[in-house]
Amino acid sequence: MGLQVFKTYFIFNIILLFSFSISVNSLLHIEIINILFYFLFHLTFIYFLFYYYHYTHYILGFIYGILFDIILLNSIGSHLISFMVILSIYLLFKKYLLLLTSNQISLIIFISLNLILYIEILLSYFLNNIYFTISHLFNYLVISIIIFIPIVTILNKLNK
Amino acid sequence: MAPRFKVRALKTSKVFKNVTIISIVLLSFFLIFFSKSDYFIINNIKNFSTSVINPFTKVLSAPFTGISNVVNEYKQFQSLKFENKILQEEIVRLKKWQTLAIQNSRENRVLKRLLNATDNNLKLVKTASLVNRNDTFFSKIININAGYESDIEKNMSAINERGLVGKIIETSALKSRVLLITDPNLSISIKTISDGIFSLVSGAGDNKYLVSNFIKNDKIPKIGDIVVTSGTAEIFPVDLLVGKIAKIEKDRFYVLPFVDFNSIDYVQIVTSK
Repeated sequence: MGLQVFKTYFIFNIILLFSFSISVNSLLHIEIINILFYFLFHLTFIYFLFYYYHYTHYILGFIYGILFDIILLNSIGSHLISFMVILSIYLLFKKYLLLLTSNQISLIIFISLNLILYIEILLSYFLNNIYFTISHLFNYLVISIIIFIPIVTILNKLNK
Repeated sequence: MAPRFKVRALKTSKVFKNVTIISIVLLSFFLIFFSKSDYFIINNIKNFSTSVINPFTKVLSAPFTGISNVVNEYKQFQSLKFENKILQEEIVRLKKWQTLAIQNSRENRVLKRLLNATDNNLKLVKTASLVNRNDTFFSKIININAGYESDIEKNMSAINERGLVGKIIETSALKSRVLLITDPNLSISIKTISDGIFSLVSGAGDNKYLVSNFIKNDKIPKIGDIVVTSGTAEIFPVDLLVGKIAKIEKDRFYVLPFVDFNSIDYVQIVTSK
């Protein structure tokens, strides 16, 4: 069991590392790849948090939060706060999550994904003056709807 | 769909766990609080990110960078015939301009000698090439392969053959980060060449235009006017080409930069003499 958990930890961390690297390096001619990997990072982080919660997730959230902020915004704030908020919300409601069915859990993961992305956009607007429009938020929602089921299916297979 | 909820994790001492979580949350607040000021820790984190993390992520994303280059090559190949026709027309046009420019250049030199004027106000610090870009989400930042070992300092200007590219915001030993002029957080003091209207512009947030956020004496310039840096804020040297007025709204105007930000390969770091 312990070895299996370590193996899954390792795989999820590799996914996080790769998706982080690809999302922060702008690919001018295929920007959609950057966006997809940015979503993949957030979705993997939430999935990993829900099914393999460990206090070291705070360390992961802290490191990736700072790196995302510095590389994409040049000042620490929105990503770090978002990761800390999502981790704290999870800790608060963990005991209630145990009562939910698989469909309800999927819905919670989907809502958490959009919540974290919207918090990042809003905080970057308030802290760093980065503008956003309603179409921007709508695009995020559409992309998350499109990629959610395929990515969760892949993550489930890895999880098994 | 996701399976039923069941946490599988490794066991650790509860006190150690709680202390770690509280320390990280407190450290996060500390960093967020001090991130806007130039404190030692924040600058070191930024330097570490520029010199270590960026090259590391670049290596990991190399296969996708390769695919992106192939896509670009394919797109260029597709438009080759059309571009060739345009280039032939442009060569004819440029030849006429070249003759005129040579005449003007001679005339200029003679007039400068008469006025005892200096050539320009720019000092070239370093020519650097683009390492990678971080401009898909949020801020518009690029990384270049020269840092403070090449005498590059914060707030120096980055230009290319077309005009102003941006401003240095971070330097490490061998790398620097440039904030592009299309970023909404970078304000540039400009003036129009034709009638010297002074104003401040910053990125419009659409990655394309610069928008005015202050116009001196509320004078609105004309569409097509060329704008250059005014040098009044003493951040950018005077008379660097910025762009031209592309559209005007009620009390503001939009500038289309001359620089094509999608094809920056090299930049020159300059400062005022």
